Amino acid sequence: MKAVEFKNITKTFGNFRANDDISFSIEKNSIHCILGENGAGKSTLMKVLFGSYKKDSGEIYVNENPVNFKSPLDAIKSGIGMLYQHFMLIEDFTILENVILGSEITAKTGINYTESKRRLNSLIDKYKLDLNLDDKVSDISIGAAQKTELLKLLYRDSEILIFDEPTAVLSPIEVENFFKIIRNFKEDGKTIILITHKLNEVKEIADEVSVLRKGKLVYSVKRENLDIKELGKQIIGDLELSIVISDDNLQAPEAKAEFEEIDVLLSLQNITLTENGLTKLFNINLDLHKGEILGVCGVEGNGQSELIELISGLNKNYTGLYSKNVRKISLVPDDRLKKGMIKEFSIGENLLMRLPGKNVFSKRLLKEKEQEVIAEYDVRVPEVGDIMENLSGGNQQKAIVAREIKLNCDVIIFSQPTRGVDIKASSFIHQKIYNEKMNGKGILLVSADLDELLALSDRLAVLFKGKIVKIFAGDEFLSGKQNSKELIGKIGQLMIGMEL
Amino acid sequence: MNKRIIVNIVSVLVSIFVTFLLTSILILLIGKNPIDIFVMMFSEVLGSGYGIGQTLFKATPLIICGTGIAFCFHASLFNIGAEGQLNAGAFVMSLVALKLGALPLVIALPASLLAGFIISALVGYVPAIIKIKKGVSEVITTIMLNFVIIALVNYFLIEFLAVKSTVRTEKISDSLMLPQLSDYFNSFQGSSANLSIIFALALAVFFYFVIYKTKLGYKIRALGYNETASKYLGIRTNALTIFSFMLGAGLTSFAGMNFIMGYKGYYELGFSNNIGFTAIAVALLAKNNPLGIILSSLLFGFLDFGGLAVNTEIPKEIMLVVQALVILSIISINKLTEKYLNKQKI
Repeated sequence: MKAVEFKNITKTFGNFRANDDISFSIEKNSIHCILGENGAGKSTLMKVLFGSYKKDSGEIYVNENPVNFKSPLDAIKSGIGMLYQHFMLIEDFTILENVILGSEITAKTGINYTESKRRLNSLIDKYKLDLNLDDKVSDISIGAAQKTELLKLLYRDSEILIFDEPTAVLSPIEVENFFKIIRNFKEDGKTIILITHKLNEVKEIADEVSVLRKGKLVYSVKRENLDIKELGKQIIGDLELSIVISDDNLQAPEAKAEFEEIDVLLSLQNITLTENGLTKLFNINLDLHKGEILGVCGVEGNGQSELIELISGLNKNYTGLYSKNVRKISLVPDDRLKKGMIKEFSIGENLLMRLPGKNVFSKRLLKEKEQEVIAEYDVRVPEVGDIMENLSGGNQQKAIVAREIKLNCDVIIFSQPTRGVDIKASSFIHQKIYNEKMNGKGILLVSADLDELLALSDRLAVLFKGKIVKIFAGDEFLSGKQNSKELIGKIGQLMIGMEL
Repeated sequence: MNKRIIVNIVSVLVSIFVTFLLTSILILLIGKNPIDIFVMMFSEVLGSGYGIGQTLFKATPLIICGTGIAFCFHASLFNIGAEGQLNAGAFVMSLVALKLGALPLVIALPASLLAGFIISALVGYVPAIIKIKKGVSEVITTIMLNFVIIALVNYFLIEFLAVKSTVRTEKISDSLMLPQLSDYFNSFQGSSANLSIIFALALAVFFYFVIYKTKLGYKIRALGYNETASKYLGIRTNALTIFSFMLGAGLTSFAGMNFIMGYKGYYELGFSNNIGFTAIAVALLAKNNPLGIILSSLLFGFLDFGGLAVNTEIPKEIMLVVQALVILSIISINKLTEKYLNKQKI
C-alpha cells in the first residue's frame, strides 16, 4: 500500500521552479530517503505535503485518498508529523509540558497530568527514548530535545513521519541511537520520510531512495540496487564529478606526523574553565603548530564550544596558561545563522565589517569585495548585494568560510564547517581548509563528522566531559587511518568515556 | 534591494492615505466637512511663509531628537528616555550658556552644546550599564529615569536657578542667540524658525552617512540584528552598547538648542512638550533612517501647526489623534508589506 503518492507536483516561487512536475510514491511501513543538494527542492516538497506551502498544480494522495491540506493542522489530523531541522520547543517548559501543549488531556479541574504522564511514559518505554518528563527543556541536550520532538509526534498519533535532516545536529553515537529509534518506528508499522545529505546514512537505513535535482525527480532506487557512487553522481549531476563524491576520496594526501617545537602557534597549559560551579574544561594541554590541522571530536556538549570560545578570546575566565604567537584568530562558528553572519547584510558587508582598515564602505568597494568572494569561492547569489538570508545554506557557509580565510590570520578555527551543507559545497570547503594548512596556517577543526576529521586532521584530540582523554598522533593515527573502522570504533568508545 | 525600498515608500504613502481617511470620518462625526478642514489646514500652513516657518520650527527638535533615538534603535536599544535625557542636557546647556555669555560666540556656543551633550550622554550611560551588568531591559530603566531626571531638573531650577516667580532660567546673552530665518528671507516674517534647522538637517545627513556607510554604523546595526553573531564577528558588544546609548542620548540634548538659542533664550520648565516621546514615533515612522526622519519630522511639524491653524473649526487635539493614527497604520501596513515581501522570496 502507498502511504503517500505525489502526482505531478509543481511549486514555483516567482520565476523559480522549486518543484517541477514531481511524481513518486512512498510505500507504507518503509523508510524512504529523499536526497539532493541544498536548494534541490526537498524541503519545499515536504512543506507542500505538510500543508505549509500551497502547490501550484498536481495531486497528493495519503493512504491512497486524495488530500488537499490547507495548513499543517490538516496534515497532522491525517496522521502526518514533521520533525523540523530547528526545534520548536519552549525552553522554560518541561518536556511534559512541551509535548502536551496544544493537545492536553483534560479533566474537570484542568489538565490531567497523571494520565498524560502515563501515556507518554509508555511511549518512552516502547520506543526506548530515554527521557525524563520533568526535565526542563533548557537543561537537556540537543539529542534529548530531538527526542522530545519525536515524542510530540508520537503523542499526536502520527503514522507518517517526516524528518528533515535529523542527524545534522547529532553526534555519531546519538545518530546510532536515533536510527535504532527509527527502526522501531518502522517495525511498528509507521512510514518514515527522511531528508538527508549523508550517503552513509542512506546506505545504512533506506528502503528506497529518491533523488531530487534542481526541482526535478532524477533518480529512484530500491535498497537491493543501491549504489552509493551512483547516488553521489545523481545528486550532483554531470558537472565537476572530478572534485569529490564519496568519503573515500577525501583522504588528504599527506598528513604530517611530527611537528617542531618552533612552529607552535598556540599553547594551552593546564587550562581549566569553570562556569556557574560546573567544570567545563579541565586541565587541558594542547599545542597547535604551523601547517597543522588539529582535529577535535567529542559528543556535543563535552567542552568543544568552551574550548573554541577560550581559544578565540571570547571567554577569558580560565585558569592556567594560554600563550599565543599570533595576533588574531579567525573563526568559522558552528551555527551559521546564530553566530556566523549578520543575515540582514550582504556578503560584501559581512566581509568588510570583519576586515581591518577601510572605515567607509562605498558601493564600489562592497561590490568589488563581494565579487571577489563569489568568484573565488563559487558562491551563488540571487543578485550581487543581496542579503545573506536569501542565499541557500551551502552558499552562506561558503561565504563565511571565504570571509574568515580572507582575514588571513595565522590560526583559523573551523567548527562544524560542513554541517547541513551539501556534498559539493562540503568537498569545496574541505579543499579550502586543506589549502590553508598547506599555506602554513594552524587549523583547529572541531567537528561531529568523524569522516571529515579523519580525512583532514594531522592529529585528533578526543574530548570527554571537558577533558582531553586522548590525542591521536603520529604513526598510530596515520596507520590507523588505513583501517578506519577500527579507529572509529576506538574514538567512539573514548567519546562516551570508555577507557581503552 | 530596490524593490524593498519602493515597497517601503509605498507602505508609508498608503498609511498616510489611510490616516487621512480615518481622520475624515472623525471630522464628519464632529459635524464638519473634512474637505473644508483639510483645505483650510493646507492653505494656512503651506500658503504662507509664516506657516512654513512654524512647521520648520516645530520639526527642528524632532529631527535632532529623532536622529539620536534612531541611533539607539539601530543598536536594538529601545531608548524611551529621550524626554529626560534632553531636558537634563538642555538645562545644563542653558546654564553654561548663561555663564559663558561674555565669551565670543565661537567658544561659548560649542562649549554649551558640548556640556549639554555630555550631561545627556551620562544620563544615557545609566541604563546602558545597568543593562550590561544586570541584564535589565533599557525600556524599563529609561522610562523610570525620565521621572527621576525631570524631577531633579525641576528641583534645581526652582530652588536655585529660576527667575523669581517664574519657572525659567535667566535669559542668555543676546550674542549667543542664533539668527532667525526671517533675517535672511523676509517671507518667514513672524515665525520662530531659526538657524537650528540647518544644524538639524546637517546632523541627520551626517548620521545617515555614519549609520549606513561606515564600519561603525555597520557594527552598530549588526549589534542590533544579532548580538551573538556580533560577538563572534569580533565586535566588543558591551563597549558598543554603552557607546551607542551615550551617543544617541547625547544627541537628544541638541534639541534644546532650537528653543533656548533659537527662540526664547532660556530654559523653561516643560519646554520640551513631550518632544522626547513624539520623536520616538518620528523615528519609527522613518524606520530609523535619518533622512526619513527629516520627512517624518516635517509631517509631524505640519500636523502640529496645522492643528493650531484649524483650531477655530475643530479641536486641535484631533491632530494628536492623527499623529497616533499615522503610527498605528504604519505599523499595521508595514506588517502587510513584510508579508508581501516574504511571499516573493524563495
